[in-house]
Amino acid sequence: MGWACELEGVGHRYGPAVALDDVHLQIPAGVMAGLIGPDGVGKSTLLALLAGVRRLQAGRIVTLGTDIASARARASIMPRIAYMPQGLGRNLYPTLSVRENLDFFGRLFGQPASERAERIAMLLEATGLDPFPDRPAGKLSGGMKQKLSLCCALIHDPALLILDEPTTGVDPLSRRQFWELIDRMRVRMPSMSVIVATAYMEEAERFDWLAAVNGGRIISSGSPQELKNIAGADTLEEAFVNLLPESERGRHRPVELRPRKQRPEADPAISATGLTKRFGDFTAVDNVSFEIEEGEIFGFLGSNGCGKSTTMKMLTGLLEPTEGETRLFGKRLANADMEARLGIGYMSQSFSLYSELTVRQNLALHARLYGGAVTRVDDVLQEFDLADVADQQPESLPLGIRQRLQLAVATIHEPRILILDEPTSGVDPVARDSFWRKLISLSRDKGVTIFISTHFMNEAERCDRVSLMHAGKVLAVGTPAELTEKRGNSTLEEAFIGWLEDETGERATEPAGEVAFTPDRKDKNRPLTRLWAYASRETLELMRDPVRLFFAFMGPAILLFTIGYGISFDVDHITFAVYDQDQSPESRRLSEQFTSIRQFDEGPPISSPAEIDTRMGRGTLTVALEIPSGFGRDLHRGHVPEVSLWVDGSMPFRAETAHGYVLGVLNLFSDLLAKESGRAAGAAVSIETRYRFNQAFKSAYAMVPSVVMLILMLTPAIMAAIGVAREKETGTIANFRSTPVTRLEFLTGKQLPYIAVAVLNFWTLYLMGRLLFGVPFTGNLFALFTVSVIYVIATTGLGQLVSSFTRTQVSAVFATAVITIIPTVNFSGLIVPVSSLTPSSQLLGKMFPGAWYQEVSVGSFVKAYGWSDMGWSAAMLCAFVVIYLALSVLALRKQER
Amino acid sequence: MRGSLSMITSVRHILLLTVKELRAIRGDKLMLALIVYVFTIATYMVSYAVSTDIKDLSTAVVDEDHSILSRRLADVVQPPLFAAPVQLDPKEAEAALKRGDHVLILSIPPNFERDLRAGRNATLELDIDATAVAHAGNGATFMTSLLSEEISRYFDLPGRGAGLVDVVFRNRYNPNLTPEWFTSVMQLMNSITILTLILSGASMIREREHGTIEHVLVMPVRPHEIVVSKILATALVILAATVLSLIFVVEFLIGVPVAGSLGLFVAGSAIYIAAIASIGLLLASFTRSMGQFGLLVIPVIIVMILLSGGMTPLESMPAWLQAVILTISPSPHFVRFTQSVLYRGSGFGLVGGEMLAMSAMSAAALAIVLLRFRKILSA
Repeated sequence: MGWACELEGVGHRYGPAVALDDVHLQIPAGVMAGLIGPDGVGKSTLLALLAGVRRLQAGRIVTLGTDIASARARASIMPRIAYMPQGLGRNLYPTLSVRENLDFFGRLFGQPASERAERIAMLLEATGLDPFPDRPAGKLSGGMKQKLSLCCALIHDPALLILDEPTTGVDPLSRRQFWELIDRMRVRMPSMSVIVATAYMEEAERFDWLAAVNGGRIISSGSPQELKNIAGADTLEEAFVNLLPESERGRHRPVELRPRKQRPEADPAISATGLTKRFGDFTAVDNVSFEIEEGEIFGFLGSNGCGKSTTMKMLTGLLEPTEGETRLFGKRLANADMEARLGIGYMSQSFSLYSELTVRQNLALHARLYGGAVTRVDDVLQEFDLADVADQQPESLPLGIRQRLQLAVATIHEPRILILDEPTSGVDPVARDSFWRKLISLSRDKGVTIFISTHFMNEAERCDRVSLMHAGKVLAVGTPAELTEKRGNSTLEEAFIGWLEDETGERATEPAGEVAFTPDRKDKNRPLTRLWAYASRETLELMRDPVRLFFAFMGPAILLFTIGYGISFDVDHITFAVYDQDQSPESRRLSEQFTSIRQFDEGPPISSPAEIDTRMGRGTLTVALEIPSGFGRDLHRGHVPEVSLWVDGSMPFRAETAHGYVLGVLNLFSDLLAKESGRAAGAAVSIETRYRFNQAFKSAYAMVPSVVMLILMLTPAIMAAIGVAREKETGTIANFRSTPVTRLEFLTGKQLPYIAVAVLNFWTLYLMGRLLFGVPFTGNLFALFTVSVIYVIATTGLGQLVSSFTRTQVSAVFATAVITIIPTVNFSGLIVPVSSLTPSSQLLGKMFPGAWYQEVSVGSFVKAYGWSDMGWSAAMLCAFVVIYLALSVLALRKQER
Repeated sequence: MRGSLSMITSVRHILLLTVKELRAIRGDKLMLALIVYVFTIATYMVSYAVSTDIKDLSTAVVDEDHSILSRRLADVVQPPLFAAPVQLDPKEAEAALKRGDHVLILSIPPNFERDLRAGRNATLELDIDATAVAHAGNGATFMTSLLSEEISRYFDLPGRGAGLVDVVFRNRYNPNLTPEWFTSVMQLMNSITILTLILSGASMIREREHGTIEHVLVMPVRPHEIVVSKILATALVILAATVLSLIFVVEFLIGVPVAGSLGLFVAGSAIYIAAIASIGLLLASFTRSMGQFGLLVIPVIIVMILLSGGMTPLESMPAWLQAVILTISPSPHFVRFTQSVLYRGSGFGLVGGEMLAMSAMSAAALAIVLLRFRKILSA
């Protein structure tokens, strides 16, 4: 027997926290090997290191006979490893169908279409997913999601399959089906090595080889029987506890359920009658009724997506039932009933506390919001054993402790009812037991009614009563003993699986038809197929998001429409008034000169100097002409009379333009007087002004091509900015890390659809400019199109670059918007020609693609630009493409730190 | 009694949640860095760079006359209005204009002075790159006026230009029409718009994606308390940044004299920020992910910035568009408000209407957000 993986002196830290400490381990090949241990002991870190998705910090790891220290070595074994990260369907794409998800993974491993089709058909059949190849992955139940994840992992026939807690949060039937599926696959692929991390000890019993992990170290390894022998225990669960160091073991004792004081005459704590919830035409919860007594622990079981969470949300008042009603202690629960909320503690399925607050701050916030005293926070910190981590942020804590924090928060206001939605999902046995002791003490000592959903059968057995739900309906209710007896089974688990099988008609048996694998180990290096995998997937995701698609196409059109009409440098409707102290024919003549040009709107005359102040202060007067008394007389005498012109300077552009108009008016006036008095003499000089490229001097002719520059900068950048950050946030980035796809293929593939959208945007904007705004086109359209394509490759590249640096989508959008809007609006020639900017602003503008494209766009529309006029700009834009891509590749890490 | 009690509880809840929001903002170092950048470096640079007035307009002269007059005319082209002129060959002129090297090119034909002295009419040619719409018109007007004056002066001719009437231009509020006075404050408004919209919208989407909003709603907290606390937190941060930027960057560094009351400006800015934050939440209520929100928010930001009256005069827009913008966007109201208060030193009486309009927009947006709140959750 060889080794699947060998570790020597492997260590790993996250900042100051030690996750793995000098681990030496040899994991046998060709068997099912398991890592068992509580949360936060380093199991996931270890698996990620083995798979090569996390960067090795210290020590040496040989996976499948290859030292994975170098990138080249990792690339060579990547096609032989499959890695399924922790979390239900976390590496799946929820809007893609079952078949599309599988297709994507097939492409990542460079499989041609025919091979993919064959393998997908075989895997769907083997897993029983074949009836729903077209169902979106997001709409599958938890068990089906895990099966699909497994199919995706197996599509390339891996020699090593790494599964990180694959059955966490999955109901018992699906869990059993999952393991049977693994067994069948192993029969078909006998040489495949499987390494699994799990918190379910009963599952670990069926593995060939186990390593018990605690505190970043391996505390024991061997077959399950060997481990039990070493520890001198009957069950693995016990064995594990015995193997723990003395200090930790002391805390563990079995959970006991004490009898409950019955109070039959009281109103039931929770009474639901005919609860129904429909979303559109989908009935999530169908006519569910039950009564729960005060102090009772009521267990809620059922497969994922059967309506458990929806029912719980209706009991808390979060969701309004479509039909039926809930009564709490006899009082009907209304939607915004604040008093009822004081009596309920709720813990939702996913961690939903503020990750930006510390443990203590979270508790204090909740205590205060419930109107309670903050002094209770310290008690609760002690009571829930959270004092050590009080000043840490929840994100840095292991799942088990986070769940304990959630429970602490849910009970901080001492509610009479606790509604807990899978509070122990993914929590290790030791932590779960302490959690349950807490619950039992709340129920028995304080009379708190507890409504809890779980997938663990040993937890269900601790409930006073349990109910089994499937597809929105309650199948059975009773005490655990009653239910087991009713089905004639020996355990509650068997009983439940029986009920579920009856209901679904699903049998966990081998489907008919044996399809053999055709092992094909040729090295398939197909960069284009992998690139296309990302391109087609990104396209599908975009197509499935109609809102995003709508904004992507309509946003630019609306923007050009409003800005094309809205931005105009024609200054008219200048409010104008005269303060005529002379009232002579000459003064009236001068005022008439002003009102005769259309840009001036004459307002009522001014009667006092103070009036100028008030009217300008209010913004109702822009230009005021003050003619002093004696104006006409002076003019007649050949003196040069002085008039004053008051201009509102609060908008300099308008003031300056008004200034220009006034100069023109005065020239006319002087010419007129000169002609009358016959004083004009000598030869005439005419100044011929030619408005080039835009004879009519229309703002739209220049603005439309510039706005094209603006839009094709911002929209593509924002679209692409989401790309990488979203994968990081949802966890699908694991697929990039664990498959042979390169950084270049990943980035280019994801960029392609957005380039396509942006190119379509270009044509929309071009046509709008030509047809709607009547902008002439004098240049070479093909040349403009070519440079535009380069431009949008650069702008999408910029978005992707920001995305590669940021961790969240929020930061990516924020940073992209701030970084792109300011230089594009101000320094790229939209309003001020780049040639008239200060040198530093010119430089800043030219550091972004917009400034280079602006002249190409404007030039092509109105300046008859051809290829030769835009060569330099095109070259610069190409440089942007290369630089952005290179920086993105550098910023994006193939391995997690 | 009961009413006032629940009022007190509500205010308490809002304050508690606001503190929580502020902590969240403090935790995001990248966001803080960008806020600082926008209110300092960006404001400073944009203030000096972007102006629609005629300043250092790049100009070239094609002198084929080489006379004393032609040299005098070329000397007219000088700072501050025009950049020092570049002498060009007639052959180069066309290409330079096409490349966008110069906005204005003055051509003086051969024998220009001789023709004039001989009593023949002569023509100066002024080629204008009319794609520089913001500068071409005024630049040409000033150039023509200066050239005429210079020719008159040269031949000692009376009667051209404003010679018969002496005009004293008195620009109120900005005597030298210093562009930075205007652009700096407008840039401040642009910064507020960009940051507030994204900050408030993102805070809502993030809570929805993390499921925390659901958690809060199980507590005795009402939707309006959540919404108001988000607006309050965003407004506090942005308002503080705005006031600091106004005092240190705009007043101190750029040297803009602030005529009006700072208190009134702060009050108006607070209303504007609240209105923008409400609109941010409104946009977030129509989108489910950051991807959708980003695509929606970009056009909104651009329209708000470009059509605020801060870039080009509002009066130049078509009447229908003015009506639409004044109804849906608070930014033109804020531009009017700012101009009145900061430059003209107007008091509350003159700007109360604009403040009311912005408040009404904020209230309308908030009302829609609250109406949609449950829907947002179940989506």
